[in-house]
Amino acid sequence: MKVTLRIFRFNPETDSEPYYKDYEIEADPKDRVIDVLHYIKNEIDGTLTFRRSCLHGICGSDGMRINGKNMLACSILLQDLGYSDANKTYKKPIVIEPLPGMPIIKDLVTDFTDFWKKYEAVKPYLITKSPPPERERLQSPEDVELIMEASKCILCACCTTSCPSTWSNEDYLGPAALLKAYRFIFDSRDEATDERLDIIDTPNGIWRCHTIFHCVQACPKEINITWHISKLKQKLVEREI
Amino acid sequence: MSFKHYGSRKSGSVGWLLQRITGIFLIFAMVGHYILMHYTPETGHSYEQSIARFSNVYWKMFYLTFITLGLWHGLNGIWSILRDFKMKSWLAITLYGIIVISGFAFWVLGVSTALKF
Repeated sequence: MKVTLRIFRFNPETDSEPYYKDYEIEADPKDRVIDVLHYIKNEIDGTLTFRRSCLHGICGSDGMRINGKNMLACSILLQDLGYSDANKTYKKPIVIEPLPGMPIIKDLVTDFTDFWKKYEAVKPYLITKSPPPERERLQSPEDVELIMEASKCILCACCTTSCPSTWSNEDYLGPAALLKAYRFIFDSRDEATDERLDIIDTPNGIWRCHTIFHCVQACPKEINITWHISKLKQKLVEREI
Repeated sequence: MSFKHYGSRKSGSVGWLLQRITGIFLIFAMVGHYILMHYTPETGHSYEQSIARFSNVYWKMFYLTFITLGLWHGLNGIWSILRDFKMKSWLAITLYGIIVISGFAFWVLGVSTALKF
């Protein structure tokens, strides 16, 4: 089939403003978006810039906005976007843009500096104060179940960059950092619950979440992020009263 | 794009909880208000009937609660929306001041009206 990819382009060294460039290519409905991007970069236009690494939905490098939705380019087939007829020439282009609300370095590559700062702010590591046991710190299956879903986050930033609260206030911690906070606050081995609750209970912290659910729709790992954030809110209220 | 340290200032949990509690109260209060005032003709809208309602101690208590919780819910909601936007501290303080002063003024007006009868 023939499809057109309308790709957001911006090179800060040469362009005063971003623009969209169309690439008409021959593709298979079972091609992934990342495959056609590779084809364009390798065969048509080597200046096209995008991030990717594992190509299997694990590393979270190739988060981008595809037809208006944040997703991983390696985890979406063209047929999933509605381009399913191998003998057809599709006039409606596949629009590919960088993740919204982030500074653009070049083309589809965005600056993750603030995203990582927010991530670091919630102390995304196990904190223990008690002396270490002889062997590992054990957890019951129930304890593991409590943090299992939150642990699946691959930090692709699809959630945070789809959140309107993040768009309106760039200092808002955002869903990814809050999910990471949940992952350690509800970890039975962690001993810094109050410390982390203090970090998220701030003007630009958890209370900027208005359960809009964009993060849930955007998450490529299908994590119910809003549910986890709600549990954090409950925990804060319980602590307060 | 800048990033600010998040500090450790506590904020929001009590307000968040109260917003939900007052919201639940307002759902019932608003439904009750609509049924009584707009779909039950015998409730009456005349001056005498309104005065009679205000003179009833239970109605008075209801109106005082309604005024207090309704105002708090509405103004806290506005403040919550405003805080979603990044703004300079002088603007935030000014807006917060307007909300608090107008809320207090409306509350005094409402309570003094309800207590007159």
